[in-house]
Amino acid sequence: MNWRRLRTLIQREARATLRDPFTVGVLVSVPLLALLLFGFVLSTEVKHLALGVHDAAGSRASRRLVAELGAKGTFDPRPYATRESLDRALVSGDVSVGLVIPPAFDRDLGRAGGQATPQIQVIYDGGEAVLAGNAEGFLRSLVAATAPDLSPRDEPAAPGTGVQVITRAPHNPRFDGKPFMVAGTFGFVLSFLTVLITAVSVVNEKITGTFEQLQVTPATSLEILLGKILPLGGVFAFDVVLMMIVAGLVLHVWPEGNVVFFVLVSSFYVLVSLAMGVIISATSTTAAEAVQKSVLLSIPLVQLSGFAFPIRNMPLPVRWVAEIFPATHYIRVSRAIYLRGEGPLGLSPELLLLVLFGALLMAYALRTIEARR
Amino acid sequence: MTRSRGHFRSNVLAVAYKEASILRHDKALIATVVMQPVMMLLLFGLALSNKPANVPWIVLDRSHSALSRRFIEEVQATGYFLPPRPVTGYDEGRTLLKKGDALAFLVFPEDFERAIERRRPRVQLLLDGSDPLSAARVGGYIGQVGAAFDTGRVARDEHEPDRPVDRAGLIDVRQRFRFNATLSDQKFFLAALAGMLLTNLCLSVTSGGLVAERESGTYEQMLSLPTTPLEIVLGKLLPYVAVSYAVFLFATVAAAVLFGVWPEGSWLTLLVLTLPFVLASLAIGVFVSTLAHTSAQAVFVTTFFIMPSFVLSGVMFPYQFMPDGVRQVGGLFPLRWYQIALRRVIERGAGLTEIAGPLLALAALFVLILLGIRWRMKPRLG
Repeated sequence: MNWRRLRTLIQREARATLRDPFTVGVLVSVPLLALLLFGFVLSTEVKHLALGVHDAAGSRASRRLVAELGAKGTFDPRPYATRESLDRALVSGDVSVGLVIPPAFDRDLGRAGGQATPQIQVIYDGGEAVLAGNAEGFLRSLVAATAPDLSPRDEPAAPGTGVQVITRAPHNPRFDGKPFMVAGTFGFVLSFLTVLITAVSVVNEKITGTFEQLQVTPATSLEILLGKILPLGGVFAFDVVLMMIVAGLVLHVWPEGNVVFFVLVSSFYVLVSLAMGVIISATSTTAAEAVQKSVLLSIPLVQLSGFAFPIRNMPLPVRWVAEIFPATHYIRVSRAIYLRGEGPLGLSPELLLLVLFGALLMAYALRTIEARR
Repeated sequence: MTRSRGHFRSNVLAVAYKEASILRHDKALIATVVMQPVMMLLLFGLALSNKPANVPWIVLDRSHSALSRRFIEEVQATGYFLPPRPVTGYDEGRTLLKKGDALAFLVFPEDFERAIERRRPRVQLLLDGSDPLSAARVGGYIGQVGAAFDTGRVARDEHEPDRPVDRAGLIDVRQRFRFNATLSDQKFFLAALAGMLLTNLCLSVTSGGLVAERESGTYEQMLSLPTTPLEIVLGKLLPYVAVSYAVFLFATVAAAVLFGVWPEGSWLTLLVLTLPFVLASLAIGVFVSTLAHTSAQAVFVTTFFIMPSFVLSGVMFPYQFMPDGVRQVGGLFPLRWYQIALRRVIERGAGLTEIAGPLLALAALFVLILLGIRWRMKPRLG
């Protein structure tokens, strides 16, 4: 390894990358676009959800219940005169939740002794599975909170009426989804964009012949590999800092942990991803092929990494597969630093695994370059 | 007029034939067209779900009572949780929660059993809110266990055997999930699978194809022939419409046969619905190719359309939750309307009248994109 040669190679690559305004534009805009998209999109808060109400009781108590459901802006109640029209509204998707209050509602509510518990029927649009799952919790808690006020008699809840669960989320009381998604977006961008950019850049060099030219210079394969991925790694390290600042200023999400530690870990992960990009491009003959391979690879990489879907929800064999992807471990680390302020000590097993993946991928990338000599 | 129309058709078919022969020999493309649907089908059919499973949780039981043990059993019986990990101190539990080793931390107070006699039973639940989607669901599950918990059972058996159950003032919520009784994410995602696949296919294939022709100079050659730009574009799109329908049929049939997600509505409705979506998506691909000069650029511009399509359309995250502004921007992507309509037909059995809105939106978007293409192509082809 010759430092002067390596420096020349790095300079060459940096110039080639930064000269092309389009690539620079992509390097800046794609991370920011991803950050804003994912940051704004995940929310569990149910707001102004269309609630179809068929109130067959039409009493003061039932109207009160409906009014309470609509009061906090969670649901927008819409009256439906018949059960059939409510059903039709559910099929056409006009309402996401249907509420039916039976005629006997008041009678049962006022009756002492409680032989018949007042009943309401709630029909969720299961077609929107995620939405229905979240709306369920909100509706139940609103009903439970309103129920005691509806009863004409003032008496404390009787035994057999359940246990009140007082729920708190100490580290994220408002269930804000932004920090979770921001920390994951680093993993998405640094896994997807890095592979794509290196793949395209190496294949383009192969097509124009400059890669062969490099190979006949005295530079060794290691120098060529490092000369390729170090400058790109520098660019992406800049991206990491840029994303961190934009996430902080626009989304108000700053890392809980050490900023320098986060940038260091992220930069190392970038090198791992870039090595993967080199491998893909070394085994492709056209840019289109390299792109298709990167996109194909990125589908399981992104979906199984825990970025959008928690790994623990997956069946066991799939969870093993997920552990093979470096992205899985990086996202775990980035969330630990961003959300919980974890330091190097607590994360050492994950970091070791990342280093191991890095070493393996670099070694393999070297071999793919060498094989072409 | 009749003559030129006759030429129009034969010209379009000639370009389509040429394009189809190229397609047939593009091995990398065929691999993508085959691999991607299989991969996505397996991922969404087998692996990906928002529904919590294997949730790690910890319990601090200060009451050591039969009631608290039954409460834990009932939480466990929901099937979403791993066996609970008992802790002896509050701080120990908080630390585990903070480290992310547990998603939920349930605390029974010392006087849990006495509180039940006094009719004010309470437990405390601490959640790791860092993943709000999972945390909200887990909180909901435990809350429901609490609401349905029959405190009378043990209390009655042990203390006051003859007391009748008194439930005055409570409301019994009978709930049911229509169209998807078990609320499985699998059904939700598989219903929209065709939308995701076609977005990927239509956008990347056309944009790359047109730019590659421009790069290799064959586009100029075609222009010098007596074919009009419109004929070239239509001819190039025709084979892809066929490929799109093949992918659509594969995704829908495989989801039905392998995972039991048969469309509730009619296949004819689905086929009709797919046409405006495929045309609009292909048109976006063509539009992208007018923006890019090299294949590499086309790839990146395409990601600019695919990524927001997936995120903002609601195929993955419910669009109803998105903040104002963001939600409306999502309406500009064909995938938004297609996934709404797909899910209505496949999950709810809607007919053409119920999806008229999304269909109109798709058609409108198609026209809009065509106008955009005309505007971009004019100077180049003049």
